[in-house]
Amino acid sequence: METLKNLSDEQVISDLLPQKFGRRGKLWIGILLIVCAVGAFAYIKQLRKGLIVTNMGDYVSWGIYISNFVFFVAVSLVGSLITAIFRLTGISWRTPLTRVAEVIAVSNITFAALIIIVDMGRPERLYFLFTHGRIQSPILWDVIVITTYFCMSLLLLYITLLPDLKILIESKEKLGKRFSKLYRWLGGYWKGTPQQEKIRDRSITILCILIIPVAFCIHTVTSWLFATTYRPGWDSTNFGAYFVSGAFLVGAGAVAVAMYVFRKEYKLERYITDAHFDKVGKLVVLLALLYLYFNVNEYLVPAFKMRKDEQAHLSGLFTGDFAPLFWFAIMIGMIIPIIVLVFRKGRKPFPMFIVGIMVVVGAWFKRYLIVTPTLLHPFLPKYDAPARFSHYFPSWEEWAITLGSMAGALLIITFLVRVFPIISIYKTLEDKNKTTESHETAEQFGNLQVS
Amino acid sequence: MKQLNNSGICRYLKLNISLAFLPVFFCIPVYAQDSTQAPVILGISYFLPANHVPYLQVSTRKKVGRKFEPVENIKINVYCNDQSAADLLGTVTTAENGIARLGFPSSFKNTWDSLNQFKFIAAGDSSSGHGDLNADITIKKAILVVDTTSQDGTRMVTGELKEKDGNDWKAIGSIDMKLSVKRMDGNLSVGDKDTYTSDSTGLSSAEFKRDSIPGDAKGAIILAAEVDDNDTYGNLIAEKTVNWGRAFAPPTNFFDQRALWSTRFRTPVWLLVIAYSIVIGVWGTIFYIIFQLVKIKRTGTLQKG
Repeated sequence: METLKNLSDEQVISDLLPQKFGRRGKLWIGILLIVCAVGAFAYIKQLRKGLIVTNMGDYVSWGIYISNFVFFVAVSLVGSLITAIFRLTGISWRTPLTRVAEVIAVSNITFAALIIIVDMGRPERLYFLFTHGRIQSPILWDVIVITTYFCMSLLLLYITLLPDLKILIESKEKLGKRFSKLYRWLGGYWKGTPQQEKIRDRSITILCILIIPVAFCIHTVTSWLFATTYRPGWDSTNFGAYFVSGAFLVGAGAVAVAMYVFRKEYKLERYITDAHFDKVGKLVVLLALLYLYFNVNEYLVPAFKMRKDEQAHLSGLFTGDFAPLFWFAIMIGMIIPIIVLVFRKGRKPFPMFIVGIMVVVGAWFKRYLIVTPTLLHPFLPKYDAPARFSHYFPSWEEWAITLGSMAGALLIITFLVRVFPIISIYKTLEDKNKTTESHETAEQFGNLQVS
Repeated sequence: MKQLNNSGICRYLKLNISLAFLPVFFCIPVYAQDSTQAPVILGISYFLPANHVPYLQVSTRKKVGRKFEPVENIKINVYCNDQSAADLLGTVTTAENGIARLGFPSSFKNTWDSLNQFKFIAAGDSSSGHGDLNADITIKKAILVVDTTSQDGTRMVTGELKEKDGNDWKAIGSIDMKLSVKRMDGNLSVGDKDTYTSDSTGLSSAEFKRDSIPGDAKGAIILAAEVDDNDTYGNLIAEKTVNWGRAFAPPTNFFDQRALWSTRFRTPVWLLVIAYSIVIGVWGTIFYIIFQLVKIKRTGTLQKG
């Protein structure tokens, strides 16, 4: 915030107002729309013909759809990490990151919910979960907790946005009329009175306190979908913590990527500084070490025992068919990020961007490795199964739908960034004015001492 | 070289090399029919379940590799005594498992009553593309009877095969049969042996050694005598229900208990309390926050006014 103290309020507002997309932005949206359209086409085909269009079978009944679902849920946890935990622990440098984290959380939890419906094959039966659902089933817990987390993430994004909406309404001349109706509808009632501020602050604090256990629940319950099933690789008491730590890591990686892109595209170098990258880099190292620790627990202990019924699964991961993917995910998802980010130069914006991408890509493949190899190695022997059931590689429809869902999540982020400020203007002004006041106080105090 | 060829060392080496490669020849699966289409094999069997209505079963299969695989969708004509239109019993088509069954038509009753021995002929439809398929079986009319006796506390199960001789039924000796108790997934022999051979009086008997076997609610079990695939008499099965089992009544309220595997109406109370407490607590707070938003809106609207 030191760099902001010389800026006027008008300059800050002007810098942080949503900006129209240039040629690159339009190209980006075009590509995303095309990927989404291909995904939608593949999904329509799946709706018409059923899950037969996928390469899933009796053994691998959860393919990349569920891997992708776990990935989306994991990324969405970042909202609670950056917004809630940082706010409650009083971390002052969080301001430029919170909105990014909230937007990522909302977009990813939306597609986590949608991809589950895609995996169902018969979406018209979704309501059966509510009419015939058994509370004993972790599947129902997942439905409840995803819905809850989605609502809370949306509320958190909306309430923190209220003062910015007032600024957006007041900046109608600069922004044009395109979204002014939306701004007025969403936040026209916000006057910034002390009473409103008080209620808003209290609501945010309550939400931040509540969203942390809900966020832990969402990924713990997701891990229980696996851990409550008796299968090699899933039969673990470590799974909840293992999933949550992995989720925080991928979320932090995603924020690092988003920080770099928004800083570069919107020229926000004065707001998202090298110091922010440095701090996020340190956070990523911490989370990567934590996740690595859980991975060691998750794989080393079973490998030490090497029970006969788990041997095929573990050997497949360490030295078998899945070994290249397994070591790739471990290396680029944890080991290399730790090595790079331990050094100060590695925590500069561009290396951070590269490391962030590595963490996210590694995390996606890690989820694939959690789901598929286990399903290919059931405890009960495969009996009279066709040869194709012993292997799984997603069909083009599965890839198209998965990539389409990713493009959809990015499209939501892009839309929200186009409509709303990606850094809270109100909070930035508040931080800037606090810094200015403290400087003035220090200067006055210094003058008094001199005189 | 000549000396070497004739030497004992050379012969020893040749023998060793030959022995080393011998397992390879055994391991390589060589199938005689690999290069040509294996012929379809037609079979016909006679069945008499519980001395009631007999039926014929035809099967079609062919050798694929080392196994026989069923051949479906083959039309088979079944005749009695002579392969002529007048003696046609019926036409069947083999199912996915390569099997088809034919019950005797009512028009066959007079023939059935008048004869004691029959020749059943199965012939494939020549238009099926599988060549000439033919099989036959000659069956003597017989019945199988299962009975029980009890002497000095020892329970015996007896089976007796009787052949139709003129107008009488004559017991047949030296017949292998199974004497067993019917269970859910198969039959369990009543004694120690799998099969029992009938003596010169035609009786096969076995001591019943399954005293504690669970029966139904009243202890009833079903005893069965089976003659399998006999060349002269075919397949015969006879059953008898006796109260020799242990009365076993499944707990009537088993599926009513509250457990994690129960239906949604029988959820454990502790889970209901925990789950709904969390849901109500969290959603209560969400609604409280929404209410706070309404309050903010109301305050803003009042300010405007």
